[in-house]
Amino acid sequence: MNDAQVIEIINRSLVDEFELDPDRLKPDARLIEDLGFDSLDYVDLVVVLQKAFGVNLREEPRIREVRTLGDVHRLVITLKRELETQPGR
Amino acid sequence: MTDGEAVKAVGFQEGRKGVAWWLGVLAMNLCVPPLMVLETVIAIVVAPVLLVIWRLATHWSLGKIMRHFVYLYGKVWLWTISGFVGLECVRLGRERFAGPCVIVVNHWSFFDMFVLAALPVFDVIIYLRSWPFKLAWYAPFMRLAEYQDIESQHWGDLEQNTRRFVDKGLSILVFPQGHRSRDGRLGRFYSGAFKLAIQNRIPILPVCISGTDRLLPPGRRWLAPAQVRIECLDLIEPDAFQGELGHIELRKHVKRLMEACLARS
Repeated sequence: MNDAQVIEIINRSLVDEFELDPDRLKPDARLIEDLGFDSLDYVDLVVVLQKAFGVNLREEPRIREVRTLGDVHRLVITLKRELETQPGR
Repeated sequence: MTDGEAVKAVGFQEGRKGVAWWLGVLAMNLCVPPLMVLETVIAIVVAPVLLVIWRLATHWSLGKIMRHFVYLYGKVWLWTISGFVGLECVRLGRERFAGPCVIVVNHWSFFDMFVLAALPVFDVIIYLRSWPFKLAWYAPFMRLAEYQDIESQHWGDLEQNTRRFVDKGLSILVFPQGHRSRDGRLGRFYSGAFKLAIQNRIPILPVCISGTDRLLPPGRRWLAPAQVRIECLDLIEPDAFQGELGHIELRKHVKRLMEACLARS
C-alpha cells in the first residue's frame, strides 16, 4: 500500500464514518476548526484508523500533536512504515 | 392536539404567494415578534414569584419546576404563532416517552426549541451548544432547568451527568447535528447522543421536525406562515449496536430513518 492509497483510505473513512464532505478534506484542514471535530470524534478516529491500518494509535504520544488532516495522513503513513520495518515482520 | 391530528393554518397555504399570503406575512411580522418579546418579559418578571408558588404547591425540585416553566413558555409561543403556523403532530403518544431515553431531534431553525413544547413531556434535559447560554434573557432559565452546555464540558462530565439524569428516570434531548442546517439538508450527525444511549442502555427516540426552516430561513429577516410537522419514530434499542464503534452504526441507522421520515413529510 503506497502513501496515496493510505490517504485515500483515511479520507474515505472520514466520509463514511464521520459524514464529512469530501470537498473539505484538504491536508491543511484543521480537525476542530475546519472539520468540526469534537472530543468524541478524536477517540473514534483512533479506533477507525486502528481497524483500517492495524496501527496502535491509542498508546502513540504523537497523536496528541495532530491538528490537521495532513497531520493524520503523515502520522499514519509513518506508523505504517515503522510497523512494516519492525524486526520479525 | 391529539396524536395524528393536523391543524392547518386557515387562509395561509404555503406556495400560494398571492395578496392574502403577503398580508399574512405582514400581520405575522407585526404581531408575533412583539408578542414574543412581551411573553419573554412577562416570564422574566413573574418567574421568581411563580417558582416559589410552584415549589410550595408541588414540592418539585427547582430543576423540574424550571423545565416545566420553560415548557409552558414554549406552549404559549405555539399558541402565539398558531394563527399563522399549522402544526401537525404525528405519533406523539405518551407511551413513547414512558421511560428514560435519548430523544434526538433534527435542527432546521431557532424555532425548533419552541416546537418541542408540542411533545407530551416536559421533564427532559436538553443538551445544547454554548450559544443559547449566552442569551442573557434565556440563560438563567436554562441553567436552572439543568440544560447541559455540551461545549463547556469534558466528555467525562457529560457521561457522569447523563448517568445521574437517567438514574432519576429523566430523558435527555439532543440535536445531533449540533447546529441548524443552512442548506435544507440533514447534515452531519455527531455521535455523542448515540454513545450516551449505548452507555446508559436506554433507547433512542428520533423526532423529526419539518417546516420550521420556512418560518425564518437563514438570511431572511422576516417570518412567513408555514406548515410545521413534528413526528416521533419508533424507539430504537441500542442492544444491537455493540462494539467500539457501535455508536457510529447506531447514529447512521437513526439518521437513515430520520432522512426517510423527512423525505415523506
